[in-house]
Amino acid sequence: MTDKSPVPAGSAVNENDWVTLLKDNARTGGFGAPALPSPAKARWQERVGGSIRSAPVLHDGTLYVTSSTGYLYALQADTGRQKWKFKAGGQIHSTPSLFGSVVLFGCDDGRMYAVNGDSGTKAWETSTDGEIWASPVVRQGMAYFGSADAHVHAVEAQTGKRCWKTALGGRVYGTAFAGDKGLFVGCGDGNMHSLDAATGKIQWSTLTGNGIDSSPALVGDTLLIGSQDFFVYAIDANIGTVRWKYETGLGVSAAPAVSGDVVVIGSKDGFLYALELGTGKLRWKVPAGEVITGPAVVGDSAIYLQSWGLLALELATGKVLWRAGLGSGVQNVPVIAGRTIYLTSHDGDVYALE
Amino acid sequence: MGSAGLFLGGIPALGSDTVEMPPVPPIDVHEAPPSKKSPLRMPGLYPGRVVEVADLRSITGNRVSQPIVHDMLERGLKELTGENSTRAAFAKFIEPKDVVGVKINPSGAPACCSSPELVRDIIEGVRSVGVPLQNIVVYDRFGYEMDLGSYQTLMPPGVEIVGVQDGLLDASGYDANVFCEMSFFGEWETRSYMASIVANRLDKIINVPTLKDHSASGVTGCLKNVAYGTFNNVARSHKEPFSFTNPLIGVMCSVEPLRSKVVLNIMDGMRMVWHGGPLTQNQKFIYQAGLLMMSTDPVAMDTIELEMIEKKRREEGAPSIWDHDPKSITKDGREFYEDASKNLFYRQPGHIAAAGKLGLGVSDLKQIDHRKLQIS
Repeated sequence: MTDKSPVPAGSAVNENDWVTLLKDNARTGGFGAPALPSPAKARWQERVGGSIRSAPVLHDGTLYVTSSTGYLYALQADTGRQKWKFKAGGQIHSTPSLFGSVVLFGCDDGRMYAVNGDSGTKAWETSTDGEIWASPVVRQGMAYFGSADAHVHAVEAQTGKRCWKTALGGRVYGTAFAGDKGLFVGCGDGNMHSLDAATGKIQWSTLTGNGIDSSPALVGDTLLIGSQDFFVYAIDANIGTVRWKYETGLGVSAAPAVSGDVVVIGSKDGFLYALELGTGKLRWKVPAGEVITGPAVVGDSAIYLQSWGLLALELATGKVLWRAGLGSGVQNVPVIAGRTIYLTSHDGDVYALE
Repeated sequence: MGSAGLFLGGIPALGSDTVEMPPVPPIDVHEAPPSKKSPLRMPGLYPGRVVEVADLRSITGNRVSQPIVHDMLERGLKELTGENSTRAAFAKFIEPKDVVGVKINPSGAPACCSSPELVRDIIEGVRSVGVPLQNIVVYDRFGYEMDLGSYQTLMPPGVEIVGVQDGLLDASGYDANVFCEMSFFGEWETRSYMASIVANRLDKIINVPTLKDHSASGVTGCLKNVAYGTFNNVARSHKEPFSFTNPLIGVMCSVEPLRSKVVLNIMDGMRMVWHGGPLTQNQKFIYQAGLLMMSTDPVAMDTIELEMIEKKRREEGAPSIWDHDPKSITKDGREFYEDASKNLFYRQPGHIAAAGKLGLGVSDLKQIDHRKLQIS
């Protein structure tokens, strides 16, 4: 299967594009982004309403935002002006992903929707038996996503035609990681699974001590994931054995971010941790919010994180560089494009900060 | 749905010896139309009986043990009901045809909230009676607080997870015909509506509060979890430094059909917040108590809860929850969250006794049948 769209699925052509959770399928969000100074002003602010508990994506000058109002909004990135909005059948907690110019997202009504990014019209939809909070991951023409119906689903990104679904032992809220080594996804029953992307067959499963709603990252053959058992895990992506695990103070819902040999991840205990990729040894930890559930964006020398607001930290030391009171979030992630930071908040606001 | 007007007013705020509290305004209650009142309605099948089960192994390093909680729940429910199995105990309250709500308390998530391990076990108990998972709803008012507790991920597939409202001003999940109306501080919206899921959908509710101090009401236990977790627009009942949680909490609990639907209370005492509630994340005020309490009587259980938190506060050298010394009041939230001698409001633990006067249960400690089971 090959991508039929002009934009390779899950990869960003324009360096400012963020076409899926944490920019692209490698989840390299922020790579190349300079350490920005504290924002001086909001270029625009748009209230879309409801609660935004997902991350925005950016493609070709359009910011796509989902909300609990049940709408997918397309906003002009330079002005914030609404281009169109699309009404789904329930609340939306899913971060959208781009397949070419088609926007894919899950919905609490159990459906995965595909919407034309230019016109806002529906391209296709497909149903599952539970709400879909995970972001769809698009790779080689396939869209992969978990559902609260305790299955991982694979459909053709072009048509929505189902290819396979695989039953797991619990609800799936985390976003899968798709790469050459297969598909990796955490599950509410505490298992981290590796699946064959072509067939959905489970290749290995590794049990943690509680449910998983974190979304994994893969670096080489090391898979990184957080669990509600308070630990961050590094797992051999080939066979599923645990290479190391690091204990935090509470559950870990956030997705890990990796820069060089450092893994950065927040915990619900309010600390942001920097761990050595090879050993799990703590490099630093800093209190960065009361509760951290969203993933960090790691730039060249700075980390950006939404908790009860937006903050920037120094990558080398964890020192807080600045804080902005805007953008309190749950699973919200800032998008860094040039010198602009796009933020959503669980209060239903969208900001472009400069 | 019609409405039956009820006019309540002038229930004295107890424990207001040192500071003169503003007078309680009248509260106009509009209930659901009269229907056959459930024999299970508060105070339920066992008025005045509270079973406390403690096991030090149930929480270690802030982690709750699923198997030990399972054992504690079984022992406690058997003691409460006199039945010989968990299934038989749940069957005293639940029928297979029921749509069952599990009212959790996620407002202190993730540091102190209804433990997913306990909620999972309650779901299993309800299921054992013959209720399909699709007819079990885990709910609270605020969806984003449930997000912070990861309840969506941690519940069994099939169970519905519902956050009644999205933001502070979202009223779409409430029934316009069932409400309490009062003006405390001249607020523009004077009505508080009952959640539609409670008014119209659920047949039975199992209440799973946590063991917590509350800056305005004194404690947040069974009564406050279902009252302020069912009606909207309730934060207006307290404006620094005054609080009308007494009598509003009890009044709301007495409103039908809420009163009839809450059939069992299972208090999660794995963690005890003895200061900073309901939202604190400060671990220095969170004691890993490792206990559960079970009762059909919310007043009796909250009375015991109040005693427990008072005892802990004495041990820690903190002022009594009944303390109304003006010097204790601060307007600085950061100070409140760091200093157990400070508070934002004059707390109103008298709301528990006031609820007792409304017939919701037993508040006299001498009349409470408090049964303690220490497993380990």
